[in-house]
Amino acid sequence: MRLNCVVPWSAGILLSTCLLVWAEDASKPFTQAQKGWWAFQKPARPAVPAVKNTAWARTPVDAFLLAKLEERGIRPNPPADKVTLIRRAYLVLTGMPPEPDRVQAFLADESPRAFEKVVDELLASPHYGERWARHWLDLARYADSEGFKADETRPNAWRYRDYVIRAFNSDKPYTRFIEEQIAGGELFPDDPEALAASGFNRNFPDESNQANIMLRRQELLNDITDTTGAVFMGLTYGCARCHDHKYDPILHADYYRLQAFFANVKIDDGLQLESPERRAAFREQEQRWLNETASVRGEIAALLEPRQKARYKERLERFPEEIQQVLTMKPELRSPYQWQMYYKSLPQVTFTEAEVAALLKGVEKTRYKDLRGELARFDGLKPEPLAVAQGLVDAPSPAPATHILNGGAYNAPKAMVQPGFLTILDPEPAVIAPAPDGSSAGRRAALARWLARPDNPLTARVMANRIWHYQFGRGIAATPSDFGMMGERPVNKELLDYLAVRFVELGWSVKKLNREIMLSSAWQQSAAWRPEAGEADPGNRLTWRYPRHRLEGEAIRDSMLSVSGALNAGMYGPGVFPALPPGLETRGGWKENEDPAGANRRSIYIFVRRNTRYPMLQAFDMPDTHETCARRNVTVSSTQALEMLNSEVVMGWARQLAGRVRNDAGLDARGQVERAWRLVYQRPPEEAETAGALAFLERQTAAAGSFDAAFTDFCHMLINSNEFVYVN
Amino acid sequence: MSTDRGFPASTRRAFFDRLGTGLSGIALASLLAEDGVAAEKRDPLAPRPPHHAPKAKSVIWLFMEGGPSHIDLFDPKPRLNELHGQPMPASFGKVITAMGTANNAIMGSPRTWKQYGQGGLWVSDWYPHIAGHMDDIAVLRSAWANGLNHVGSVCQMNTGDILAGRPSLGAWLTYGLGSANRDLPTFVVLTDDKEVFGGSKNWSAGFLPASYQGEQFRTGNSPILHLKSPEGVTAERQRGKLDFLKELNERWSAGKQEDSDLDARVASYELAYKMQAAAPDAVDLTRESDATRSLYGMDEEATAVFGRNCLLARRLVERGVRFVELYCGSGSGWDAHSNIEANHGKWCRASDKPIAGLLTDLKARGLLHDTLVVWGGEFGRTPFNEKGNGRDHNPWGFSMWFAGGGVKGGQAIGSTDEIGLRAADRPAHVHDIHASIMHLMGLDHLKLTYLHNGRAERATMTGGELVKEIWS
Repeated sequence: MRLNCVVPWSAGILLSTCLLVWAEDASKPFTQAQKGWWAFQKPARPAVPAVKNTAWARTPVDAFLLAKLEERGIRPNPPADKVTLIRRAYLVLTGMPPEPDRVQAFLADESPRAFEKVVDELLASPHYGERWARHWLDLARYADSEGFKADETRPNAWRYRDYVIRAFNSDKPYTRFIEEQIAGGELFPDDPEALAASGFNRNFPDESNQANIMLRRQELLNDITDTTGAVFMGLTYGCARCHDHKYDPILHADYYRLQAFFANVKIDDGLQLESPERRAAFREQEQRWLNETASVRGEIAALLEPRQKARYKERLERFPEEIQQVLTMKPELRSPYQWQMYYKSLPQVTFTEAEVAALLKGVEKTRYKDLRGELARFDGLKPEPLAVAQGLVDAPSPAPATHILNGGAYNAPKAMVQPGFLTILDPEPAVIAPAPDGSSAGRRAALARWLARPDNPLTARVMANRIWHYQFGRGIAATPSDFGMMGERPVNKELLDYLAVRFVELGWSVKKLNREIMLSSAWQQSAAWRPEAGEADPGNRLTWRYPRHRLEGEAIRDSMLSVSGALNAGMYGPGVFPALPPGLETRGGWKENEDPAGANRRSIYIFVRRNTRYPMLQAFDMPDTHETCARRNVTVSSTQALEMLNSEVVMGWARQLAGRVRNDAGLDARGQVERAWRLVYQRPPEEAETAGALAFLERQTAAAGSFDAAFTDFCHMLINSNEFVYVN
Repeated sequence: MSTDRGFPASTRRAFFDRLGTGLSGIALASLLAEDGVAAEKRDPLAPRPPHHAPKAKSVIWLFMEGGPSHIDLFDPKPRLNELHGQPMPASFGKVITAMGTANNAIMGSPRTWKQYGQGGLWVSDWYPHIAGHMDDIAVLRSAWANGLNHVGSVCQMNTGDILAGRPSLGAWLTYGLGSANRDLPTFVVLTDDKEVFGGSKNWSAGFLPASYQGEQFRTGNSPILHLKSPEGVTAERQRGKLDFLKELNERWSAGKQEDSDLDARVASYELAYKMQAAAPDAVDLTRESDATRSLYGMDEEATAVFGRNCLLARRLVERGVRFVELYCGSGSGWDAHSNIEANHGKWCRASDKPIAGLLTDLKARGLLHDTLVVWGGEFGRTPFNEKGNGRDHNPWGFSMWFAGGGVKGGQAIGSTDEIGLRAADRPAHVHDIHASIMHLMGLDHLKLTYLHNGRAERATMTGGELVKEIWS
């Protein structure tokens, strides 16, 4: 419960912002190289090239790849064997390997559509959304906490995470996905999904107690600008914060033109997700509770008021004078900029009842406790809380002016700019159409619509390349959020253009594009190395083999849960808190005991505390959540080895896997080895492998004291092995 | 160009592209692809040559978290005492402070000051033991930073930026130089009290690969997370498991020689196994004599905790650890908004003898000449009072000091204004300090870059000028 803040009114003096309005620079001429830059040309559907090896080139994707390979005289790899293929499909689409039964059924299915069926089945699996949402959450710098010192919990941030999972599972068209995330509440005010989607740009790290509100607002806008530019346009807008981009045609002014689309936003952490009926019922029930408790609440309020006022005064006086004025002046005198300062500073002088009550001492404290006890008697009358999301909305106040900032400094404004797109694509200010009823300023809506246009040269290309990146572990352009001159050029621009055009043709369906890619010979090649091809293209840039790559930490953990049978497949809901390793503490808390069953949920549901990422995931390169991440690092470290080797959690899964194997396979050691192999690697062991495993079990029984312990060690090492953690 | 090992392949290609040479595009692409692969597949912690001959091999950073008062420790201001009780003269300019104290009255320093050593450096009575080492110490009196709040300022002192997300200096040094002892982490963090503000963000690898992040040592004989084998797993049993794992991995890797990551994973388990023995040995202080323990103040309650960490730091740099960061008053201990007398009294006492002991011990063992010791907080404190007997945060001008590792001791560098509010002569920003430390470690801060989001990022962001006086 929040207490209403008592705002003393005083005649405020208008903040003298002294903003000089200069004439905007005459538009700078772009170089020919900039104007002709590939990423700024609208993709046209390239003709499918003729190739020699027509048997291999089953799909246009293959033809585009093969044309480049044939130019260089490189043959692509033969298809991967069926076990490798189904395992790869499962890991890429769901992040967990298939069960042995499913593998057997696939092996037995000799129809030409056998693999297609697997792909369709996986795209329809709810685990697909969990896997692909995790990719998007990297881009969205998603976390469940604020960051900085206090790193407070964002209690409803997970609504955005769930939205993303549902969006991938329902195959929401990508354009709609963009529109909802950029301008959810503006474009679709009655759609709770769209409200939750606006959490995308609410995911910034924030310092709740920052005294310099002017600086803080600028930093949040910078975060939004950088992220929006990188994620949807694949451009490093951030480089133009202080000056014109050194390489790409992104003007200093363009940075603030993009930022201006967000100049009027405000945080809303109470976005209503429930139906109007449910809300009405809530209010009705709440009114009953309010009526019954009026007198006791009145007493509590009276008891707290002096403390509350004192605390208000103390916190108010910490602010510099101009912010104190903003908080205390008459609302009608506030300038748009002052309104922005007001929204940002108000929470710092607004306290929860618990915060104020904590200041009580002695008799007052006792009295408060008694009153709370009395109030608690009416808890049965209280309605279930309404579901809310945390996101961005248009502030009711007009947008303050946006200025180009000298050196990016919030207090060094130069020329004023209007919302606009990249000057090289469209030098005019964007056409902004506010809603007649004042409910929407039209700014973010204009940006969202521009991004979602089929003729936008960047949008489809950037996303098609991301999809390829997540399918192969590397994009056609290897820097998926940098299509500029410092990024890696696409190794096969025709292929990327084809996929971009195709993506639009397929109704911006991520599932359909995934499907087309996976049904190509290119995707189904084996990962084997061939010396003669390796000599011609050692980096496999032209994709003559499927690139073997290590799984992400989340997929490794989920796979361990899955093969051991420990997985709790429950979906959605607030973040879960698997136990932290002993000796690790975290500010902001880690509620291990809240839901022990949650410890074995999929990794995407693990609470993301910015200052303490879950150690196992952190060790395996989970991005740090302070900025958007398009491409994870893949490191190999002894920290990972210690985690996999010595953590009680992993050891526990090994024990569960051992139990599962022995339940399935009975008492024969040879049968147990085979079953373990099939569960972990989806294939039977070769004779030499069986012999090696049996010899180990014998040796280890002596070292570990029992066959049981040795068998656990055996299972433990299987899930530590390369074969288990690689997509082959 | 081959010496520019931090120079990313893609930048190189952009460079070639711009050259517009007559080379065939395909031949060039293949050449660069090879480079790219080599760069991606290299062992991230392999030792790498510095840019120039280093003066220091290791850094011990004594981080006084919370902000020690420079004007009560190393930067005496007689004018402050003259102005005591008066408002700050307008000539010093307006500042926004964290707690809104800028209009409060000036508070003089009640400390007694003396000059020490050949250089005659001033030290207050709060640091009597350190005072005995002033001829090995260069005091920088004109440091400045950008943040007002602890979390941003601690973050900046570590990473260069008040916003979290960038790699810390220790990570950059590890990236630049690799590891000198693969059985131990290269970058170690030690705390003495509560959690550091901002936590592990301060020793994060940021956008650098995770291999370069700092490792926070825990107290006790198992300093690293998951260092101990699971309950009941003997050394023999662990060895047996690892041998079996090796067998599994080698069989699967056969015919996959091109994928060096597979071998790197095998090697990482062997390293982990060696670390299981080496790390407990490194932190085993029972091997130190009573005299040594006493030198660090481990026999007195007030100094025991930080003394232990200082001794650990010596043992770590002895074993080749490159960057040891020791927080004193971790969790913002030095944050004396009120009653600075009690607050600083406590933390000065906790750190004085241990730091002096560390300097004595490093020198006696011949380690000081190539170990750079850095002392400082995330900012200093204000000349005006807070709550009558405390001081607010002051990022505009404060002191840090440097010893060992090529440092020219016995000198003060730069100055603050008459009341210690702002850096006056020779202001040195955090980036300048980072650039200088990198220089002493043999790295050129302009050359050590990492391509991230289209920019060749460096530790000093867009700044960084060497404070050459530190070593010359």
